[in-house]
Amino acid sequence: MIEVNAVTKSYGSKDNKLLVLKGITAKIADGDFVVILGASGSGKSTFLNVVSGLEQPDGGSVKYDGRDITKLSDSELTSFRKDTVGFIFQQYYLLPNMTVEKNVRMGADLAGKSGYREIIKAVGLEKKLKKYPGELSGGEQQRVSIARALAKKPNVLFLDEPTGALDEQTGRQVLDYISALQKERGFTMVMVTHNQNIAQMANTVIKMNSGKITEVSTNETPKTAYEIGW
Amino acid sequence: MVVGIKDAAKLIGISIISCCAVLVCTLFLNYYLDVLQIEGLLSSEQAVIFYHAQVSTAKVVCGVSGGCLLVTSVVMLFFYIKHYIDTHKKELGILKALGYSNLRIARNFWVFSTGVLLGAAVGFLGAFLLMPGFYERQNESGLLPEIAVSFHPSLLLYLVALPTIAFAVLAVLYAALKLKRPVLLLLKNNYQSPSKIKRVKESSDCPFLEDLRKHTLRTKKTLVFFIIFASFCFSAMTQMAASMDELASEMMGIMILLIGVVLAFTTLLLAITTVIKGNTKTIAMMRVFGYSQKECSHALLGGYRPMSYIGFALGTVYQYALLRIMVDVVFKDMEGVPAYEFDFPVMFLSLAFFLVVYEVVMHCYAEQIKKISVKEIMLE
Repeated sequence: MIEVNAVTKSYGSKDNKLLVLKGITAKIADGDFVVILGASGSGKSTFLNVVSGLEQPDGGSVKYDGRDITKLSDSELTSFRKDTVGFIFQQYYLLPNMTVEKNVRMGADLAGKSGYREIIKAVGLEKKLKKYPGELSGGEQQRVSIARALAKKPNVLFLDEPTGALDEQTGRQVLDYISALQKERGFTMVMVTHNQNIAQMANTVIKMNSGKITEVSTNETPKTAYEIGW
Repeated sequence: MVVGIKDAAKLIGISIISCCAVLVCTLFLNYYLDVLQIEGLLSSEQAVIFYHAQVSTAKVVCGVSGGCLLVTSVVMLFFYIKHYIDTHKKELGILKALGYSNLRIARNFWVFSTGVLLGAAVGFLGAFLLMPGFYERQNESGLLPEIAVSFHPSLLLYLVALPTIAFAVLAVLYAALKLKRPVLLLLKNNYQSPSKIKRVKESSDCPFLEDLRKHTLRTKKTLVFFIIFASFCFSAMTQMAASMDELASEMMGIMILLIGVVLAFTTLLLAITTVIKGNTKTIAMMRVFGYSQKECSHALLGGYRPMSYIGFALGTVYQYALLRIMVDVVFKDMEGVPAYEFDFPVMFLSLAFFLVVYEVVMHCYAEQIKKISVKEIMLE
């Protein structure tokens, strides 16, 4: 269980302070698929960064099963990221001079390397093991980054606009892979998006506007990637 | 203007190397030209032998150190230009997309030669400041008649003006060559043409960190050269400086020591800074994934350690061979030249000092890695 309590975060100097998160409180259950929905500038990415431990909030707490990660030192946070969370970004951030296999091993080696080939197979890239990112399409590169994130067997997977750089067909395919893997492996998934249609795939939808949560809703029957509009 | 004076100001490495090269070459060439004028005044056979030894020394020192430093400056110039193009791909790509020719953009790169001009000018002036003392030391035995310090304008032309022009031309030509890339390749940040991918044989069993270490070494060969060169300079110059006390003079020893240490540090710091700057995103991504600072620094910097040892060994052999040649060939007919043997205590002292300095520098850079924010990954 992730408990976010009265989290605030601002950027800029004293005179020019921009309050991005204005006392956010939320709970994310284990195994849930949560979408954080909001327009550009609503604070959704900052919220994701704070909840995942990439950024420290100015105030409030973020607890994973009762352990407050805002109180952790830098090395403890590194260890927390290693053991607990995985990330998928819009821009993939693969290592260009390393093959698909080695990019995935970046995550796999942190979890004792076992089973990474199965994950590559699960995202349909088993025939591209020795290819380099420059030889892959955008969708394939994003699938490598999914495999890399899941190879370290995280309890919670954070995704920041994972389909933002992809066309509709490829975007649907990537979402399909992600949701299938989430169902199969049962990890918690927190995805940031501005696409309202993608939110229909989630169990829980947190809507954000101007640094505040405006609505939390649940989907009784989440849709698949091929059932939603785009 | 695509490339400004501010960019050229970052060429401190080239300036320092040029300064050292021109300082040494001016000292010895000026002495060479002045000593030639007293050839007719030599009265004894001993003086003639000493004269020829001095002339040969000047030629060998200028040839070896001037040549070595010239090659290093050229490599460094190419490295800076390539680095500049890589880090300003988007701006240069936009210019190309607008229709500017490669040569027209490359013309701006002449400013990279200002680093050479600055270094050469300082080296030239510095040489003239040191010259009276240097002449005195060179003729300490008094075998030659008094040699007056003269100013040779040709040296100003050959050691300051011509190198500056040559480096400006080289910079423009090399930049034009490096700009011969498809516009798309320059405009897209992470785009890599499949034909340009540096393929390295990978073993599935090799751990990621081990592979990253190998990749860092293989993909940046210029930096490997700089690390080897840095430790080579340190090793050769510190050991040579110690021997110079007996073979030449204390002043020569101090000069060589200073040049060696300055060159070694400049090159080492330049190389390691570039490794870290060039891998900021990789480091940030590794930190996001949960790799520790120690793992990051070991993977990125650890591979250079054996290279630095190779450089140290090469420097040791080089200085021994050079001094052996000087004593056995150049000064073979001279009386009173002390016997030269390999100095093991000096080598071990130099090695110990080198190891300590190298590890301290690496520790400082490891701390810098620690400061790289995981947020770097989002700054694009």
